[in-house]
Amino acid sequence: METNSHGPSRDEALHALAGPSADRARLAEGIRVPWSLLAGFGAVAAWWVGAAGGTAPGEDYDRPAVGGLALAVALVIIYLIQRETGVRFASMGWQAGMAVTGVVAGCLVLFSVSLGLVAFGLHWAVIATTVLAFGLTTWLTGVAYRSAARDLRHA
Amino acid sequence: MLKAHFDDVIHAPLRLRICGLLRPVDRLDFAVLRTALEVSDATLSKHLRTLAEAGYLVSDKMASAERGDARRVMWLSLSGSGRAALDGYLQALRDIAGTL
Repeated sequence: METNSHGPSRDEALHALAGPSADRARLAEGIRVPWSLLAGFGAVAAWWVGAAGGTAPGEDYDRPAVGGLALAVALVIIYLIQRETGVRFASMGWQAGMAVTGVVAGCLVLFSVSLGLVAFGLHWAVIATTVLAFGLTTWLTGVAYRSAARDLRHA
Repeated sequence: MLKAHFDDVIHAPLRLRICGLLRPVDRLDFAVLRTALEVSDATLSKHLRTLAEAGYLVSDKMASAERGDARRVMWLSLSGSGRAALDGYLQALRDIAGTL
């Protein structure tokens, strides 16, 4: 590999170092949150939480079998988001990690609440937890995506 | 330990900007990179070819269902040697500029 033995001056070096930061800021600004696809995550979460409505909590409880399929659909949505936006993040950042943790924790709580409602015979009330799962997941995945895009500026 | 060194392939301003954009991501679509850099397809392609020939760039083409013609989505990413060369180059610039 050829090397430049002289190298740039201090001003040229400062100018060159500023270039990538400005480009990253422009890239981050150009990234639009793909809400329609993020709503797909919300739909998957709603599907999983809603599956609690079809169970029979107690001795005859059978775990709903949608978990693996929901995970597969989520992976397809991730692929579609990358294709739609043209960006595949190397790292989402800690704020996005917290948001995703919030999605998992929120859905687990809502699933447990749904089982409780079914145990009390309130099957119809699972609609509320299902809608909540959709809204919470869509919102938090949007927060995670925005955070990951914002982190590009400081990468 | 990061070794500071100048690299003539990365030294060209646009190639430095390309590498700078690809460094923090896993990969970028050609169109996204072109828009962020505000350059023409031909100019970007020329510099990408230089980076690829130096072994600093990896490209991966895939079919696009949205496009009726034969065009494909082109994913771009820095190779391991590309990341090392960029990091060394940026370190050399920081040494000259006297920044961290």
